[in-house]
Amino acid sequence: MGHIMLNDTGIEDAVSRNVIPAAVGVNAPPKLSQSPRIQELARRSRELAISGKRRLGSEDMPLGDHACWIHIGPFPELDQMPSKVNGYEPTGESWGRDYAFLVDHFPIDIHPDERIVGEIHWEMHMVRQYVWPAEAQEVGKMAHALGASGVSTGHTCPDLAIGLSQGWGGILERIKRSRAKYIRLDNQPKASYLHGLQMICESVIRFIQHHAEKARELAQGETDPWQKETYERVAECCAHIATGAPRTYYEGVQWIHFAVMMDRVVGHGNGYGRLDLYLIDLYRKSKAVGELSDEEAREYLSEMFLKLRGHFFSMGGRDAKLKDATNEVSFVVLEAYDLIGDYNNLGVMWHPDIDPEFYDYACDVLARHGESIPVLVNYDLMYEAQLRSGIPEEDAWKVAYSGCQWFCIPGKEFCDQDVNSINLLAPMQRAIAAAIEQDIGDFECFYALFEEELTRTARALREWKNTQYDLLDRLWPEMFTSMNSHGPIERGIDMVGARGVDYQYTSVNILGIPNVADAFHAIRQLVFEEGRYTLTDVKAATQANWQDNEPMRQRFLNQDKFGNDLDDVDALLVRITDSLAEILGSMVNQRGQEFRASLFHFQGHLNPSAVGATPDGRLADEYLAHGINPQVGRNNTGLLATANSIAKIDQRKFQGGTMQVELQPRFFDGKDDVWTYVRNFSETFFRKGGIQINLNIMDLETLRDAMDHPEIPEYQNIIVRVTGYASRFICLSRDYQQEFVTRINYEGF
Amino acid sequence: MRVIEIIRGTTHDGPGVRTTLFLKGCPLRCVWCQNPEGMNVEPEVWWESHKCIRCLACLDACPSDALSESAAGLRQDRQTCRRCGACVEACPSRAMAFNSQDWPIDALLKEALKDQDYYKAFGGGVTISGGEPLGQYRSVAELLRRLQETGVHTALDTCGLAPQAALAAVLPHTDHVLFDIKLLESGLHQAHTGRPNDAILANLDRIVDHIRNVNRAMKLWIRTPLIPGVTATPENILAISRFIHEDLPDVVERWELCAFNSACNSKYEKMGLSWPCADTPLMRQTEVDAIMKTALSTGMVDDKVLVSGLIAEGLPETLSTYPCSE
Repeated sequence: MGHIMLNDTGIEDAVSRNVIPAAVGVNAPPKLSQSPRIQELARRSRELAISGKRRLGSEDMPLGDHACWIHIGPFPELDQMPSKVNGYEPTGESWGRDYAFLVDHFPIDIHPDERIVGEIHWEMHMVRQYVWPAEAQEVGKMAHALGASGVSTGHTCPDLAIGLSQGWGGILERIKRSRAKYIRLDNQPKASYLHGLQMICESVIRFIQHHAEKARELAQGETDPWQKETYERVAECCAHIATGAPRTYYEGVQWIHFAVMMDRVVGHGNGYGRLDLYLIDLYRKSKAVGELSDEEAREYLSEMFLKLRGHFFSMGGRDAKLKDATNEVSFVVLEAYDLIGDYNNLGVMWHPDIDPEFYDYACDVLARHGESIPVLVNYDLMYEAQLRSGIPEEDAWKVAYSGCQWFCIPGKEFCDQDVNSINLLAPMQRAIAAAIEQDIGDFECFYALFEEELTRTARALREWKNTQYDLLDRLWPEMFTSMNSHGPIERGIDMVGARGVDYQYTSVNILGIPNVADAFHAIRQLVFEEGRYTLTDVKAATQANWQDNEPMRQRFLNQDKFGNDLDDVDALLVRITDSLAEILGSMVNQRGQEFRASLFHFQGHLNPSAVGATPDGRLADEYLAHGINPQVGRNNTGLLATANSIAKIDQRKFQGGTMQVELQPRFFDGKDDVWTYVRNFSETFFRKGGIQINLNIMDLETLRDAMDHPEIPEYQNIIVRVTGYASRFICLSRDYQQEFVTRINYEGF
Repeated sequence: MRVIEIIRGTTHDGPGVRTTLFLKGCPLRCVWCQNPEGMNVEPEVWWESHKCIRCLACLDACPSDALSESAAGLRQDRQTCRRCGACVEACPSRAMAFNSQDWPIDALLKEALKDQDYYKAFGGGVTISGGEPLGQYRSVAELLRRLQETGVHTALDTCGLAPQAALAAVLPHTDHVLFDIKLLESGLHQAHTGRPNDAILANLDRIVDHIRNVNRAMKLWIRTPLIPGVTATPENILAISRFIHEDLPDVVERWELCAFNSACNSKYEKMGLSWPCADTPLMRQTEVDAIMKTALSTGMVDDKVLVSGLIAEGLPETLSTYPCSE
């Protein structure tokens, strides 16, 4: 079952009531109350989500309800796309022309009650092809055969401070200047690329101007004084920010809304940076002149959240002097979420010097809503990871939690976060075969073979990525994001092209690390130390999915497992991650920059049949371990033990490694000051070396029921943090739901 | 030290978040015992049906012929079983296992220190419980001493029935005592736990004395299991309340009334024992409210008394019978 077709009453019920069952979050009254206006806007947003108009992914494989675009049907002018009419060209200019055409044909949506306006209904990939030439695809197939994959698409982060300070007009000026320069210097490719950027920028300016025109029109025909004034304010705001830099907090939020939304016309998992740093100056300015109430400050952001979805903003962290960067807006952003709940991907970047009141509030919000919002991340570890890669201090402090589990220097990176993958089970299986062939008799030699096979897979990935990088800035440049990045306009190089931006490492997600660690530990024990089985036995048994070999499978299954704070097997996992860091870190891509592993996987663990049964005792149809979290059913020593296991990894070597926690709400029954548990647990975990916590506080039994009864209103507004992003539970595919409800539901610590 | 279980990250056995070490062996035989594997100090082999794959390797391995297969699963003849562990060795899925483990003190200390950082953050520490931990008092004293030396807060969860020497050895290394008062009337105590309570109350006296005269910083929590028809009677609750309020107000920081649940029934099945309390239902909120009223009726301050454990929700107001009390 994909998503739910509800009858009108069903939707109405769910939409109007926004009841969340007691089994999600900690039972506590809301701290902020919604104005009727916000209630109405939230209701409309819920209706869109539940009725499937925000669906990400396909009908058969829905990923969630966090599409920014709203379904209204296919793009009517599809056949008039410039690349269709004039012929497709793999150039930035052609891409820009298509983007401008698409945007120029967007309807202008302004709804009653809204102060923040703007919606989109289509994305670029729906109207322009993104296809690799056949020779390139062959390279991809070879990589896939060795367990590596990944097609570059977005997953970076612009620096919106650029546009906030220059306005689209300022950006356009720079584009034109740069284009004129390259024309004068007769550098046609750069001039042509910049022409593409210019068309994009001008189309965005027009789009915003159209909102001003429409709002003015609506104001003229409006009789209700409040609504009339609201339309007029929208008109004035949009008229200014079409080209000008925002002058007020309100204009700032509306500007950011357009900037993110038009970026998501390219629809590709970007983060958007540090929202509190973006808005603080405008906030203080507006506050000082008395034009901004506390309620307005958070309501504008609430509205933006309801409309944007899928947006990763972060707060907290440190400033250029490494002092705490928390400010008033950090609180306002959390309040904006606290006010409406619902869908979000906010991250709070903790560090030992963070404002304790802010962090307490963050933990309180998280506990009450129970839907892993905000995500808690360890700023200092992200900062150190960036330094370790060679990013200088003057940029490294800017690091922002930007995605599922990854982080970024806004506007300066294109690192392929989250799109690439190495299935670690593949080199493992090849190593077993090779060890049999070579008659290997000890674990160390076996492990050396594994590292060889892993190197083969990594090299195949490098081949594949380089093939893409050679073509990427012509095939699918990230032109919109490039406009708010440092480099592309002046250099005439898209951010995906070599040297378009300064930091272009290649990130690789790794699938199945706990499974490999568990398998190696079992093999070390049962094959090499006890001699109870041979590798030939292991290969044969796993290939036959352990058929008629249950006692053998049980022996492998009942060896010590990762996630129970047991030093032997945990050390083996750490060793494997170190091998990953070393092998990938010794390879550079076509831009001359290193590969970096991320201890996370978006959804590969849901596709176990690709891998078959494994020597950790796993059956072929069982899901794999999710990221760096223990295989389900294998950590039975409690949450603190699992946290300890995960914290043994040196996260400075990696691009993220999320600990996923589904905690029973009844753990908090009878406890006061619930947020202190979240705070104390997270701070200790971070001090011990953990980097990220996704904390869902929910009773998985409730969700089991929700799978079978999605029509029950109470279930329709449950948001869960799936792996790296949030989604309405009932909007997930059955597979995803099934995996989610079979996770361990910690009863306590 | 003979350990039946180690639970990490608990909030049920003292202040903050703690690791609780449960030791084997207990002089009492409370009808409602939640840890039947803690009763005898000798290890037993027990069988976990849901882990069993019916390979019967255990049967083949047993030198004493103590195992047989039935429709219900494996049957152990506990008289014949010599506890040699051959079946445990042979079992591929750990369905056959010893119900305790012997830990050298060094290893147990290392284990208990794994969550040291969390104890600090949560104001927690390590609790030693069981069975009755004072049955292994020499090792317990040593372990607690070394934990305190490392800066870890220590708690002792005891039924109070132990030789004087045991208390004398352990108390100097204890920051916090959790002491059971189940039944104040000694005859009833004997009927339901197998022993009278005079020695227990004498030990309580010694602990109270220790707090008043040696270590004012030591905390004392009294715990009373709420067993329907047995301990959760108005008479017993009133008596204990009076006792605490009149005789011990300066030393008792908290009185915890622990609501009963029969979830541990599977342990009895694994031990091959029948359990009279297997079907005892959860208490209802109305019953709990009545008990609290009685508990506070002596003038005890209400933030000193709390009810812990599972309470039934939404059940109809019908009379229940309590097999436990028969």
